[in-house]
Amino acid sequence: MSKLTDDYGTFVSKLQRIAAERCQPLSGTFELTGRCNHACSMCYISRPVSDSAAIVRELSADIWIEIARQAKDEGMLFLLLTGGEIFVLPDFFEIYRPLTGMGFLISLYTNATLVTDSIADKLAETPPHRIEVSLYGANTRTYETVTRVPGSFKRCMKGIEALVKRDINVGLKATITRQNVDELDAMQKMARHWGLPFTASWLLTRRADGMPSEIEECRLTPSEAIAIEASDPYAVEEWCGGGVVSKTDNFYCQAGRASFVIDFTGAMNVCSDFPAPGAKVPDIGFRKAWEELRRFVEGAPKLSAECLDCDVIKYCAICPAWSYLENGKMAGSVDYLCSIAHERKKRYESQK
Amino acid sequence: MIRKESFLLQTVGGENLLVPVGAQVMDTNGIITLNETAAFIWDLLEKDCTIDDLAAAIADRFEVTMEQAVSDVRSFVDKLDQNGLLE
Ligand code: SF4
Ligand code: SF4
Repeated sequence: MSKLTDDYGTFVSKLQRIAAERCQPLSGTFELTGRCNHACSMCYISRPVSDSAAIVRELSADIWIEIARQAKDEGMLFLLLTGGEIFVLPDFFEIYRPLTGMGFLISLYTNATLVTDSIADKLAETPPHRIEVSLYGANTRTYETVTRVPGSFKRCMKGIEALVKRDINVGLKATITRQNVDELDAMQKMARHWGLPFTASWLLTRRADGMPSEIEECRLTPSEAIAIEASDPYAVEEWCGGGVVSKTDNFYCQAGRASFVIDFTGAMNVCSDFPAPGAKVPDIGFRKAWEELRRFVEGAPKLSAECLDCDVIKYCAICPAWSYLENGKMAGSVDYLCSIAHERKKRYESQK
Repeated sequence: MIRKESFLLQTVGGENLLVPVGAQVMDTNGIITLNETAAFIWDLLEKDCTIDDLAAAIADRFEVTMEQAVSDVRSFVDKLDQNGLLE
């Protein structure tokens, strides 16, 4: 018998590998709502809190719990609850509470701005294994330039404090855009101040629902992005060790092999970025939806001839989702990824 | 002795995992892995059992001597106790 703490990450990867071999849906994401109290320009999903068309399509707590029950029977162990912003849902705890007794390792994604003392108290009664709080800046001006909501920085700080005070396992994850890139160090410092783990991501995807997006003004230039990446020894090791893309598989992630996403309408999809195949879990049940997702992933096109021939493919993260979101078809190169891959090659090969 | 109800046993392939539920997550963040014998004992501990009950079941199931079974059970039960897994 052993308790996993230090080697937790390695063990989780091992479980994912085993699950993928058995086609077991080990890791699920429930996108409980598409609505959010922020209006970030780089967001791939967010709709206004008052969006009544979205509200009527959201699932009830009973349906989410039934989906979780069926998912558990098929082998789900890791469950991420995300949005939009989960705490805009008045019935969030009606969904969350029963899930905490079902034997899942639950994570929550939130911006923490709606986490009051009373919400933090309720979370502390049956805590998730982890809460990841998104961070958009290290001061009021920058944070609120991104979120476009006055008062949101202060509320976020109070929310984080409330969680930390109750010893809930919190991590901070910064989304890096052109608006806040200069504050990366300052955000890291904030995490250190609370003694919290910190991650940062800068690879921004387009909206999948076809609604207008301001992604071009938010994305970092390849040189800015790779300068940040190069300071992370794990990322450098991964890219210099052969990269992530497989020339024989279409998706290199665990989508449709060990992971899935269910959106706020109950549609099961490849990942949060890629809303396909949209198998309706409430109508056909979890197992059939999972089979449909597996068939979709198996049938998706492999790499295009152009990508197969590419001399920087080991520095690229191309996948059918990216091709689809950028160019409308599931194979083919993506300009932004090409420029990033070339920048990686330039930087990492000159370091050798 | 009897196991706490605040853990659920899950399996992924051949891996047996004890997952804390509810308020227990605060004390046991993460998962506990069990080998086959330990998972077998954990199942039996759903009902109140003595060391001898458990050892007899182990000796029967895994074809080991009673002496060996008692020693395995004692060491596993000690670990359960240390990790707060028993009522
Ligand atoms: S974008 Fe592609 S690689 Fe990333 S999670 Fe989605 S399907 Fe997988
Ligand atoms: S997207 Fe561009 S860089 Fe990536 S493999 Fe295809 S051609 Fe190469």
